[in-house]
Amino acid sequence: MAADYQVPAQSGLLSKRQRIWLGNGAAYLGLAVILLLIGIPLFWMISGSLKTTQEVRSIPIKWFPSAFRWGNFKEAWEAAPFGRFYINTLITTAIGSGLELINAVMTAYALAFLRFPKKNLVFMLILIALMIPDEVVIVPNYLTISDVFGHSWVNTYQGIIIPGASVAFGAFLLRQAFLGLPREVIEAAKIDGAGHVRMLKDMVVPMARPSILTFGLISLVAKWNEYLWPLVVTNEDRMRTLTVGLTYLFDNEGNTQWGVVMAGTIFVLAPLIFVFIWAQRFIIEGITSGATKG
Amino acid sequence: MAVISRRNMLKGAAGAAALATVSKASTTFAAPAVIQSGPVEITYWSAYSGELGDADKAQVEEFNKAQSDIKVNMQFQGTYEETAQKLTAAIQAKDTPDLVVLSDVWWFKFYLAGALKPLDDLFTANNTPIDDYVDALVSDYLAQGQHWALPFARSTPLFYYNKDMFTAAGISEAPKTWDEFVGYAPQLVDKDKSVVAYSHGSAASYLAWIFQPVIWQWGGEYSDADFNIKINSEAGVAAGTFYQKSIQDGWANSVDDPTADFTNGLCATTVASTGGLKGVKDGAAFEFGTAFLPEGPAGFGCCTGGAGLAIPAMSEKADAAYAFTAWRTQPENTAWWSENTGYMPVRKSAVDSMTDFFTENPNFKVAVDQLAKTRSQDSARVFIPNGDQIIGGAIEKIIVDLGDVKGALDDVAKTLTEEAQPVIEAIQALATPTA
Repeated sequence: MAADYQVPAQSGLLSKRQRIWLGNGAAYLGLAVILLLIGIPLFWMISGSLKTTQEVRSIPIKWFPSAFRWGNFKEAWEAAPFGRFYINTLITTAIGSGLELINAVMTAYALAFLRFPKKNLVFMLILIALMIPDEVVIVPNYLTISDVFGHSWVNTYQGIIIPGASVAFGAFLLRQAFLGLPREVIEAAKIDGAGHVRMLKDMVVPMARPSILTFGLISLVAKWNEYLWPLVVTNEDRMRTLTVGLTYLFDNEGNTQWGVVMAGTIFVLAPLIFVFIWAQRFIIEGITSGATKG
Repeated sequence: MAVISRRNMLKGAAGAAALATVSKASTTFAAPAVIQSGPVEITYWSAYSGELGDADKAQVEEFNKAQSDIKVNMQFQGTYEETAQKLTAAIQAKDTPDLVVLSDVWWFKFYLAGALKPLDDLFTANNTPIDDYVDALVSDYLAQGQHWALPFARSTPLFYYNKDMFTAAGISEAPKTWDEFVGYAPQLVDKDKSVVAYSHGSAASYLAWIFQPVIWQWGGEYSDADFNIKINSEAGVAAGTFYQKSIQDGWANSVDDPTADFTNGLCATTVASTGGLKGVKDGAAFEFGTAFLPEGPAGFGCCTGGAGLAIPAMSEKADAAYAFTAWRTQPENTAWWSENTGYMPVRKSAVDSMTDFFTENPNFKVAVDQLAKTRSQDSARVFIPNGDQIIGGAIEKIIVDLGDVKGALDDVAKTLTEEAQPVIEAIQALATPTA
């Protein structure tokens, strides 16, 4: 539809061709700017990971390392039990995101398709919860987690995972997405006798796949990168996550070895970047599959 | 309960005495935590990472190897600030470590909250020669006639200078006074290489601690001992103006991590913690020197800082925690820690054993010599909650925004006065005996 849109011929300054060319040029320029904005810090991190601290801090800026210092990676890896941190982050991220996704889908389904008393009040409460910054609930959460029916969950996986397993944001986002689904299809399924489980599984989830995947990805990134809560709720090396591990590379009295920190940052970030590249096609597929149906 | 064998016995009388007491206590009084066979496990919360963390870990491991009655589990908790915040949470949850590193600006808060154990009984029980601890450092933790922590990773600000740059500019030695330094500072600036003569830090890198001696050198103070805020006095404004002018005249800048800039040759001089000495020594590709802080119009001034070891009141293993603390501050262990970090030797007798080390590392010697001339910090920075960051923010404003010095200091004086109120009340409440 958009492609065949006829431009009225009243503007005589530029031909249609020129205008398309200009439009494309502007688009590419914008892309280039965004690429630089995102790319330079990434490039700086990668090149920094192979430099000495002197080179990282030198002015004028040295864009490329004079010699590749692969030793930075080794040094960073050995500064803390990163192998263990990897396992911990994988566990907390996978379970945490999984739970969050399931909770969000079910809550959103209830809010979008079920009729129950005080539904708006529930939705309002979720919205209010959305407004509360995470930092505010750190202490109450810690107190709760440190005494769960007489058990302390400090230094446990459930301690790291459970407080973040259900957040208002996901429920809100997916409710909006579910409400946007074609009503006719839902009605038809209902008439054909689909129950809630079937409806959720075979109708809502497949149709809302792009939204769910997008939220899943947001959740995954957030859990992987979470710093404050895992730091607060763990005291021991064996329970710490990758992001907390990065602080092991800093020095209290200044003189942080930036090359080593950058190297550490790379192996903390790398898995996430691969997940992103892999998941991206699903999101694009989801968007286009929606587009053809108008 | 394992018997301490002669082989396992620690070097040094204090540690051995401390351990003997622990094992005795466990058999005689049967403290619940040490009833089971095997070592008493204590949790030690550290705030050191990087090279300092390696040194910290090495000492914990050595202690664990040297004896079999106590096993120290070292747990790194982040920066001084993060460690203190985590301790706050741990106290709320009634699950504290047995030993914790608390910086100069944090221990008092926990003392006021009744969260720390007074140590004097433990000194007596373990025959700790408290007279052998450097008075200026150990007296910092004195309140209500009791000590609430032992000095451990204590430092002072120190003047670092790049000898290569000094030689190139035809200057043969470190400045005695700021006046002298300002005289030749422009010669140390190299615009092509973005090198400045001096780098200031930021509030986050404890600028308020570096400025503490400066305000003294100008004859002022942040506050007196009774929390009367004096930071916006004439002397305070003069000191602030000196800082501001250093930027305006173009020979100084304000950076995130001045120690790192110095190590990497981006500034000719800086004032930074002695705790960074080892890092600078290992990292600098040039010859550098250290010196006493330059004097101001009112003469010399230098403070101490850094962290001590404290035992939370909730710990049930205070004896074991103290035994480890006493071991760490034994003369030879103090000397080892000091040589490997740059922190001050907290024992007088440790200094004697470090003669060889001083000959090889004269820069460390300067730091120790300067220690004798230090004084304790003003109450406004160390006893008012967040006082360090409040003051640091004001100094940052003066040297970054380059606005009105008096105005900035007036504002901060007002904030500090307000923030001091609850502290004053808490101190009064502690002084009033409960009937």
